Amino acid sequence: MISCQRNIRYQSRIGGSAILVLLLVSSLSAADNSPQVSLDVSKASPRSVEPLTQRSIVRDYRFAWANLDSALQSNSAGPLNGLFAGTAHDWLKDAVTNQQRSGLTSRYLNQRHKVDAVFYAPAGDVIELHDTAEYDFEIQDGNKTIHQEHTTAHYVVLMTPAADRWVIRQLQAVPEF
Amino acid sequence: MSWSINTACKTLSTRGIPVAAFLCSAMLGIAQDAPLRLPSHAFAGQPVSIATSGSGSATFYLSGPSSSMKRDIQLGQNIDITAKDVQSAGRYVAIICSGECSSAGFFVAPAEPASLAFLVHPSRAPVGLNDVISGVAFPFDQFHNLVLTPTMIQFQLAAKGTTPNSRAVETHSGVAWFRTNSGKSAGPLQITVSLSDVNARRVVQQVASDPCNLRIKGQRTVKGIQVETEPVRDCSGNPVPDGTIVTFTAKNGDDVSFVDAPVKQDVARATLLAKGAVVVSAASGVATGNELRIGGKE
Repeated sequence: MISCQRNIRYQSRIGGSAILVLLLVSSLSAADNSPQVSLDVSKASPRSVEPLTQRSIVRDYRFAWANLDSALQSNSAGPLNGLFAGTAHDWLKDAVTNQQRSGLTSRYLNQRHKVDAVFYAPAGDVIELHDTAEYDFEIQDGNKTIHQEHTTAHYVVLMTPAADRWVIRQLQAVPEF
Repeated sequence: MSWSINTACKTLSTRGIPVAAFLCSAMLGIAQDAPLRLPSHAFAGQPVSIATSGSGSATFYLSGPSSSMKRDIQLGQNIDITAKDVQSAGRYVAIICSGECSSAGFFVAPAEPASLAFLVHPSRAPVGLNDVISGVAFPFDQFHNLVLTPTMIQFQLAAKGTTPNSRAVETHSGVAWFRTNSGKSAGPLQITVSLSDVNARRVVQQVASDPCNLRIKGQRTVKGIQVETEPVRDCSGNPVPDGTIVTFTAKNGDDVSFVDAPVKQDVARATLLAKGAVVVSAASGVATGNELRIGGKE
């Protein structure tokens, strides 16, 4: 009886450890797939970027790109709400609608964003970022991959503060800065 | 700027052989051109024609910042992209699939500036402060693309009774900005930003700064001591706005009493209930006034 109880305890410990390992692996894999964002504010002018603002921008920019990927992968405009506004939101919403219409989906995988703040307005109400983004871009027609590339893209980004976050208002790819 | 990729190497990369996939792509890039010839320059809202080579039917795809399309085409013929499909500036990928897929990319540049986003802060500014007013302008084309080519933008500041002050600022990375001191007189400051025939106007209300040199007078009456200020003005002589609080203090030895009174039509008035001989003073913001000695009388 005692050995049986020990065995059950042992098994439950092993089960618990296995679940923990699985959770850890799944969280690590999720972390690997989430966009990596680094922000350099040393060139920001005329206002310097406060450390708290810097952290908020990194957090929200990372979530925005994760949501962008999710929206274009699932062809759902839902993930675009909250972190995109104005032109950026309209463009991405149109992209989702047009993808739905033509039966396409697209993905931005293994994203790495090296972001420089180049302009921070004196009143702190708008920031311009230059993002050198590296990712695997994939377009699918149904289940068929029709385009796949590893690319480095350059984006000019305008972000403005909302009540509790920074939102992307302009996300415009350019050949170079 | 354009690039070409042949998707024949995709299986290698998806199966975790990135080096082989890279080499394969590189070799194919040299050995075989994509059957797409793209325009060297494309502008938002202008139709684009893509030339194709080869023969037979194929499927054409276009993926852009806000567009995505799929259409059947005949290789060897031009593909006409309408102006509406390339309104958003940015990176587009054109793909042709006929058995295997080939792709090429191109950039669409913004069109001419058609509007200005103009942010001015604050909406109300006290007079006589340095660098208190700032403005930021972003030029956009008619399709809401940020125009990034350097463009000269004119800022004009005009307050009543002063000569308009004008300055030209060139945009860098699509933004032009200015910062300036507030004037000496209260009143509206009109700020106009213009670029060719595009302009936008904002108004900053310049208001009196903190009160300066408070002067008070008072007398004992049946109800108590009635005190009032002379017209309260800032150091530039502008009357402070109604509602500005003036604190009157009456001291009689260790007894101290306070009354807060708002300025109404330039003057703040209060009645103090202090008894005996008192010293009355007033303060508002950082400004203090003269002391008034009023003798005791029941």
